[in-house]
Amino acid sequence: MSKFVFYFLFLMIIIISCKKKDPEPQPVDNYLKITIQPTYMNNGIENAVLDSIYTTPEGYKVKFTDIKFFITKMKNGDNDLFESAILDYREFGNLLFRGIGDFNKFSSLQGYIGVDSVLNHSDPSAFPNESPLNISNAGTMHWGWNPGYIFINLEGKVDTIPDAINNLDHSFSFHIGTDTYRKDFYFSNVNWQTVSTTEKLFPLKLDLWKFLHSPWSPIDLKTEFLTHTASGQQALTIKVVSNFQQALTTY
Amino acid sequence: MKNLVFFFIILALISCRKEKVGFNPTPYNLIKPTHFPNMVIPEDNPLTKEGVELGRFLFYEKRLSGDNTMSCASCHFPQNGFSDPNQFSIGIDGIAGTRQSMALVNLGWESFFFWDGRETTLEGQILEPIPNPIEMHQSWKDAVSKLNADVNYRNHFFRAFNEEGIDSIKVAKAIAQFLRTLISSESKFDIMYKYENGLTLSSNEQALFQSIDPEEWAGYDLFKSLNGADCFHCHNGPLMRVKKFSNNGLIPNSINDFGRAIVTNNPEDNYKFKVPTLRNIALTAPYMHDGRFATLDEVIEHYSSGIHMSPTIDPLIEFGSQGGVQLDAQEKYLLKKFLLTLTDNNFINNPNFKDPN
Repeated sequence: MSKFVFYFLFLMIIIISCKKKDPEPQPVDNYLKITIQPTYMNNGIENAVLDSIYTTPEGYKVKFTDIKFFITKMKNGDNDLFESAILDYREFGNLLFRGIGDFNKFSSLQGYIGVDSVLNHSDPSAFPNESPLNISNAGTMHWGWNPGYIFINLEGKVDTIPDAINNLDHSFSFHIGTDTYRKDFYFSNVNWQTVSTTEKLFPLKLDLWKFLHSPWSPIDLKTEFLTHTASGQQALTIKVVSNFQQALTTY
Repeated sequence: MKNLVFFFIILALISCRKEKVGFNPTPYNLIKPTHFPNMVIPEDNPLTKEGVELGRFLFYEKRLSGDNTMSCASCHFPQNGFSDPNQFSIGIDGIAGTRQSMALVNLGWESFFFWDGRETTLEGQILEPIPNPIEMHQSWKDAVSKLNADVNYRNHFFRAFNEEGIDSIKVAKAIAQFLRTLISSESKFDIMYKYENGLTLSSNEQALFQSIDPEEWAGYDLFKSLNGADCFHCHNGPLMRVKKFSNNGLIPNSINDFGRAIVTNNPEDNYKFKVPTLRNIALTAPYMHDGRFATLDEVIEHYSSGIHMSPTIDPLIEFGSQGGVQLDAQEKYLLKKFLLTLTDNNFINNPNFKDPN
């Protein structure tokens, strides 16, 4: 009998000790997402579509073929959100950033259009594979000759002859780079929108209407269609940078 | 007694076991050039010495073609920078393709393949030419069957993949491993690039640096100059290309090849083709997607005065409306001098890339 009790107790101990523990609750990651939607026309409500033809106030026909830019050092005080991100509208749409973060720490946001001089003059091959600054990812956004990054790249085609024929055979290219032209921005009272229980969104827009047709410094694509930030192109470069800075807004 | 019988059965099983080739893959030490970005290698196809060696044999294997006359190397000659000196490569049935064979170099950094970018992996690209009726024209079933009949290949494949059996995926993986080792990074241009970017030069590179003459530097300046040849928009960085498709102002050829648009069905992509690297450009004639230009001089003339405007022309061909960048004779000479600095003799003569047979 005592043998039976012994075996019974032994068995029970084994069963109890082998009992699968309840899994400990895993912490849930909260994601923050920032989008920048290029818009054009209708007071900035309509999303811009690459390769679509728009009419400017001057009666020009215009289409954007490429919209890319770097945003870096996004943070709020001592809380860093990300080091660098690229908005490549053709490749990735309006998504600038999605990553883990606590929205409570980012009630305001500041950052830069472009990259700082240290990053700008680093070996572009030495950044981690996943970094947008790695030459593999930066691609056309890195100048071999400068050297450094193109901070803002806006390209398209325009027809400046107001007739019924859409002959968009005139290109415009705004390529802004070099340390001088990095620009900052600041958004106070960031209104994070709830996408899901684990994701918040801060939507921004790039108002291309405002960019081209700024009441203070409009860009006339007939005569102001090319800058590579070279000497002799300073006037247009400054205008492009300033207008771009103004065009980056909240909704 | 029972135990004894069991012991003998086990012993018999062990002693009768088929002798197998061992699987001890050795990681391949791929040396990344210091001025290159990291190469992203697919997790399901890591480089091993055995895989690279097998891929090299397969690259030169003529049994992969229907009549055993053609290998990959038949259209990608090492001495021509792994491209084809013919305008169009001729398949085993005597049929010519419609596009020029692309140079196989630094493919580990590419993310789309063929002139129209229809393949997004190197392994996927390799699967195409063998069954293609105008190229090697052999079903994968037959190709694999031929390889399976060769005990050396069976052993090679086992050593590389730790599995009995050969299939098209393994063939593609092995060739991809070999192709990822085809790295060109030791031309004069590399020294110029490193110097320009403030990267350290080794003592050998210092010596080569001294051999770069002023005309080559002047050609490089012209290459990068916005008001000069303006080449850098598309041929940039250590890989000497940017990742994109471009309409570079060619007059459409007789078959009216729409290029990238065939893949995307987007008319905005009409006449756009993959921007190729300029590495070893002096060795990879003829040029353009259809090999229409036989010499570098013709290419330079095209960008100087032969640009054909069309709705999808690359906006970065900034002097297109004038016919091109309008170089004078001296500028053309200097530009060509620079283009010759892209030849990497160490790459061309690398014994590890040659036919192992």
